[in-house]
Amino acid sequence: MKATYLYNFSRFVEWPAKAAPAQGDSFAICVLGEDPFGPALKATVEHETIAGKSVVTRQVPAPQDAVNCRVLFISASEDKRLKEILTNLGTSSVLTVSDLPRFTQRGGMVQFVLEGNRVRFEVNTATAERAGLTLSSELLKVALNVRKSGQIGD
Amino acid sequence: MFSFQDCSIPKRLTRMNMLVSGTALLLASAGFFVYDLYNFRAGIVLNLGIQAQIIGSNSISAVLFDDPHSAEITLSALQAAPRVMSAEIYTPDGQPFAEYRRDRGESRAPPLKIPSGETQAYRFQSGEVGLVRLIVFHGKPVATVYMRSGLGAMHERQRSFALIVATVFLMSLLAAAWMSSVARQSIAEPIVRLAKTAQIVLGEKDYSVRAPVNGERNEIAVLIASFNEMLAQIQERDAALGEAHNRLEQQVQERTAQLKAANADLEAFSYSVSHDLRAPLRHIGAFSQILSEEYDSKMEPGARQHLNRILAGVKHMSRLIDDMLKMAQIGRKELVRVTTDLNFLLREVLVDLQPESGGRQIDWRIGNLSSADCDAGLVRQVLMNLLSNALKYSRRREIAVIEVGQVQQEGVSVIFVRDNGAGFDERYAHKLFGAFQRLHRAEDFEGTGVGLSTVQRIIRKHGGEIWAKGEVDKGATFFFSFAAKGQDRVHTNKAMAGG
Repeated sequence: MKATYLYNFSRFVEWPAKAAPAQGDSFAICVLGEDPFGPALKATVEHETIAGKSVVTRQVPAPQDAVNCRVLFISASEDKRLKEILTNLGTSSVLTVSDLPRFTQRGGMVQFVLEGNRVRFEVNTATAERAGLTLSSELLKVALNVRKSGQIGD
Repeated sequence: MFSFQDCSIPKRLTRMNMLVSGTALLLASAGFFVYDLYNFRAGIVLNLGIQAQIIGSNSISAVLFDDPHSAEITLSALQAAPRVMSAEIYTPDGQPFAEYRRDRGESRAPPLKIPSGETQAYRFQSGEVGLVRLIVFHGKPVATVYMRSGLGAMHERQRSFALIVATVFLMSLLAAAWMSSVARQSIAEPIVRLAKTAQIVLGEKDYSVRAPVNGERNEIAVLIASFNEMLAQIQERDAALGEAHNRLEQQVQERTAQLKAANADLEAFSYSVSHDLRAPLRHIGAFSQILSEEYDSKMEPGARQHLNRILAGVKHMSRLIDDMLKMAQIGRKELVRVTTDLNFLLREVLVDLQPESGGRQIDWRIGNLSSADCDAGLVRQVLMNLLSNALKYSRRREIAVIEVGQVQQEGVSVIFVRDNGAGFDERYAHKLFGAFQRLHRAEDFEGTGVGLSTVQRIIRKHGGEIWAKGEVDKGATFFFSFAAKGQDRVHTNKAMAGG
């Protein structure tokens, strides 16, 4: 479910035109840290295109490698390195998504939240804006919570 | 429905007008109605499709991120659309995701199937329309929206449409009625007037009547003018006919008078001639008789023979003169009509004829005759003549059969005298009654040829007819009546008179 969401988010986010990916015509959805999705993510994005670019999934070992990703899922295993990761990304136009608690308060953009057995999410538009990303109102409409301020921190 | 059979023309015109305009209007209304219904339905479907698309588009993120609540908020906007009864959003795998119901108690209707390749399907049924629309996001089906809308608006529209049609229909019929009353004045009324005129002409035989013309220039005016022209021609012809008739009548009267005068002259002449011929004839007879008696012995046989011839000739001529005088007398004599018993008359004649029939074998077959209103003396001559003829021409028969009787022919009593004598050739029947005309040689049967002519005169003077039938050697039958019979008889009579 989260794998699908990860892909669906990219439908409601606008990247700036200058965000030129290093890997040519591909649209990269990257996972940093332990991959919780398994083959589900790859299966979800297979044969999909976004804005004429074919969607690919990638496992990135270091935060530096993530700057060319469009979407970056930060695994729960990276809890300790979160601040470092976010700092490394800086204002790169990368949509950050994570399961980590208080992710949106700690400088992340989209955080999965479990409500009962349903997967919901909350967003921080301020951090997204700082990275040059525009979150569609459609996305905000279904977000559990929309934060509008926040710094990178604990 | 209307019956066109026994209606007057104005009524027919009115009915036809009403029928035509009514039919045209009904057809037009039906056409408009169907067109409008079709259009309106198409409009409803379009509208509902757009609404479904808007709802669906606004619910894409809700479906993708599993947020039915958000979708329900979107759906609740349909409260502004009063006709929408319900709207439901289904996930692509057919699971209900979110719904909106105007009326809480309503049960969920099963959504329609969208045919493959289409993005929308709809169905009209029992006062509502159901529409299902596929919502596609980036080339992928994301959801289907199923909406149901009431058709109250359509029914309202149909009702107002029906009201308008009824109003227009009524007004058109009124207009048609008014127009036909105008048509009645210009078309039907002249025809009705013409018909009335024709009836007057027929009923009263008055050809001076004219159908009124009202200054129009159309076929009806031509008809009326022709009718009047015809009447004028008939009138003219009548007048000409009347004039010709009068002229003819006058001519007939003139000719009759001339003829009467000529006849009278002729009779007077023949009478005087006959009368005047008698004296010299008597002298010839008397002196011939003296010669024959006093110089009988002195005459040579040749002279004696000549003298006998002279005596016979004098005798014959004397009889001729007698007959002619008799005939002339009949022409001058006035009829004295008395009711006469013809049986009595016949018996007298038979007694008188006894000398002629004496010594012969005769089978008399005398029937019963009626009485007649006639001149007894003249009719006696008729019977005498016919019976003596019958005796004369049957004298060569060993047994003469002479029959007298009376029959009814064409409502008229006809008396006949039949014999089995020499008869005659019917080809010359017309000559029978001519004066001095004889069908037999004097050597065979003596006679002057005046008898039947006299008989005919007498019968005609009575206003009756006489005719004969016969065949050579098979006898003859003479018929006479005191009144004219049918037309054909008269015709034959004329033919006889002509001879």
